[in-house]
Amino acid sequence: MADEQQRHTRREVLGHAARGATLLGLGGLASYLVLKAGPEGAWSINAQKCVNMRPGAVGVEACDRCATQCVLARSAIRAVNDYDKCGRCYICPAHFDVSSAIDKNGLPSAKLCPRDAIERKPIGWVDPYDPANNFYEYIIDEEKCNGCGKCVMACKEPAGLSSLRLTVRHDLCLDCNRCSIAQVCPDDAYQRDPA
Amino acid sequence: MQFLEQFFGNLGVHCSRAVAPECRHWGIQHLRAVAPRCIPAVLLVFLALVGVMPAAAQQYEYERPVSAAPTPEDIGEGYAIPQVQFHPPRAQWREALDVGVLLVGLGLTALVVLKWRSRWALVLIVIGSLVYFGFYRQGCICSIGAIQNVVATLADPQAVLSWYVIAFFFLPLIAALFFGRVFCGGVCPLGAAQELILVRPMIVPRLLDQVLSWGKWVYLGLAIYFAARPAAERDFIICRFDPFVGFFRLSGPLDIMLLGAGLLLLGMFIGRPYCRWLCPYGALLSLCSRLSWRNVTITPDKELDCGLCAEACPYGAIRDLRADLATCVACARCYDKCPRHRVQRTGGQAPAGDAP
Repeated sequence: MADEQQRHTRREVLGHAARGATLLGLGGLASYLVLKAGPEGAWSINAQKCVNMRPGAVGVEACDRCATQCVLARSAIRAVNDYDKCGRCYICPAHFDVSSAIDKNGLPSAKLCPRDAIERKPIGWVDPYDPANNFYEYIIDEEKCNGCGKCVMACKEPAGLSSLRLTVRHDLCLDCNRCSIAQVCPDDAYQRDPA
Repeated sequence: MQFLEQFFGNLGVHCSRAVAPECRHWGIQHLRAVAPRCIPAVLLVFLALVGVMPAAAQQYEYERPVSAAPTPEDIGEGYAIPQVQFHPPRAQWREALDVGVLLVGLGLTALVVLKWRSRWALVLIVIGSLVYFGFYRQGCICSIGAIQNVVATLADPQAVLSWYVIAFFFLPLIAALFFGRVFCGGVCPLGAAQELILVRPMIVPRLLDQVLSWGKWVYLGLAIYFAARPAAERDFIICRFDPFVGFFRLSGPLDIMLLGAGLLLLGMFIGRPYCRWLCPYGALLSLCSRLSWRNVTITPDKELDCGLCAEACPYGAIRDLRADLATCVACARCYDKCPRHRVQRTGGQAPAGDAP
């Protein structure tokens, strides 16, 4: 009986020792990683590589893989207007489809954005009799935009002032280890930035 | 003049066969003389031009009106340049919340399974985990995938890992050292999906089960190998072949979705095929669970070898009427089927028809 009890305790001691050792090992590994820990890099789009953004790539079809390839139902990519670069044109080539027919107001009749996400409104001092010489603000509705890049491609030298760009919404991005956009980006522009 | 000549020359080619040879080399001086004979052709061209012109006129000749962005002074009326849309990354407190939910989930599962031995309470936790980590967090953050991040960070001196991922990798392992695989049983959304879909459990032959369960070690080895490679060649195979994440996101590559659908279909009859035979994190957890301090125990005091628990276990984790600590995923099905446990639950009264 005493022998049995002793064996029992020995087994328990061994169990405790093994558990303690594993715990120490895991703790050591974890503290090494914690000491090395930092903010992880995040996915971003390189404007010098992306065909929609890089200067000189004009007259080609906009690449919409950012909109179609993200694992989210609606991509985490959005177009953004840099207001300090925007020319506030009367006829914006990113807002209007400038190849469409002219309507009765003298404006192109079709919008370029397939989701109608770019709002146009006159700003500053507005002369109602001379709309062509007014300035217009172009505001992207991020609830509608899915980052298809058509407008970004259209607002590029020489047609526009390249004020539009594509960005990753980091509050939406799931930060996948294996980003499915990066897998198919034809220009290798989708990359993980070091933090 | 040159242009006109050319133009009418071209026209002449059109009418050459039908009308007259002189049409072929019209000079402008001959125009008046030969014009009447070419009238039908000219009329035709004119009509064609009239037909085409409106469309051509409507084509907007786009030219950028400005050479630089206007300043607020140009715009006037006290205009101020608006802020560019910017959304900061996911807030730290949300990450802390995820870790908190993980800890609460692990703790609750341990309490519910090991102390209360309550199957229905566990099912509630499982549903909660599926909703939170599965559908709300969309399968990311994930302890299974974190294996490769940890390995990559250990192998690559440049790589860093956030405390968030570190917590999700180590906390379930530490929990397994104390309470067994409570992560598998209550928290993991992949486990949860398979736990809830298991409607008609079938027993898998022991030998087959054992052979197949080596799969997870192979998978773990491959995952480590691909994660430890240099950054450019690194391949996150666990994320790439995650069979269920597509269902959480309601979108995914077709082949992986089909794999997931196949596993779910199989999982209706065979308990947790992914967890038992493929999950690389399950391999690590089974090591820790083997050493666990407290775990699922089958009738530790008085022996009652009815074997209902062993029949109830869809994972083959009860051997010789003892829980196999490495394979038990803390699902509490055995407790649910235990007649003695039922007696305790119903306040000392034996159920009328007796178990099963």
